[in-house]
Amino acid sequence: MPKNNKIYWFEGVTEKGTKALLTDETSKFRWLRAQRNRRILVVVMGLGLILVALGSYWPTFKANLELSDGTELVVYSVSAIFVILAVVWGYLLLRVSVRGIADAPEELLDERQLQVRNSSFRYAYYFMGYIVLALMLLMVFGPEIQMFQSEGNDGSYLVIATMFAFASIPSMVLAWREKDI
Amino acid sequence: MLHSMSRNPEDPVYNRIEAARLTKGLTRQELADKAGVHYQTIGYLEREEYSPSLVLALRIAKVLNQEISELFSLTPIRKGK
Repeated sequence: MPKNNKIYWFEGVTEKGTKALLTDETSKFRWLRAQRNRRILVVVMGLGLILVALGSYWPTFKANLELSDGTELVVYSVSAIFVILAVVWGYLLLRVSVRGIADAPEELLDERQLQVRNSSFRYAYYFMGYIVLALMLLMVFGPEIQMFQSEGNDGSYLVIATMFAFASIPSMVLAWREKDI
Repeated sequence: MLHSMSRNPEDPVYNRIEAARLTKGLTRQELADKAGVHYQTIGYLEREEYSPSLVLALRIAKVLNQEISELFSLTPIRKGK
């Protein structure tokens, strides 16, 4: 083990933490090694991201719930916190499930890991392109089809969901594709 | 096909790493440590799901005291003794 725990600022990881993930030091996440479980996690994460994005349409939902103002605020806040925490937890689990390969610095990966990481980033790049395209179409056509309500919808949850997506899609692709992590 | 671990799916590299490793009495982890790769990469190589770079092939051959031509082949190798 290294004497100093080198910090990789660009990747946002430490040498010790990355090596711990790569060498499977903690056995409590072994259940995530099975491809089926990883794929379930990817689907759940995708649904979580969609839920976060839908936070922008709360004004429409809450009008249908017919709750009092105070109750609306509590339900809104608790739901938002719960969903965001669940997505953060999902993101951390995803990273563990792929041994942190998607976020690891190159010098800590071997040639096969580098190859699968690079390949996953290639697919993630395409996915992100489609997401950006969808957001642009939403910007152009959203107001016309009245998706954006005047009350309280500033699209902030779309931005939050997109940021989460940018961070997690490489790991999601890796978790989905690799049969043996 | 969306995914293949081989560098070029049309040209897999066959090998007898597992037999040579077992003959030497090494575990996958030990071979991985000596060759400087993750132990899973050894698993991928032994299952012929990944084709190594020339450098890695040479390193593995050196660890296993084998000629690279004895260890790797472009044609299927009969497994076992």
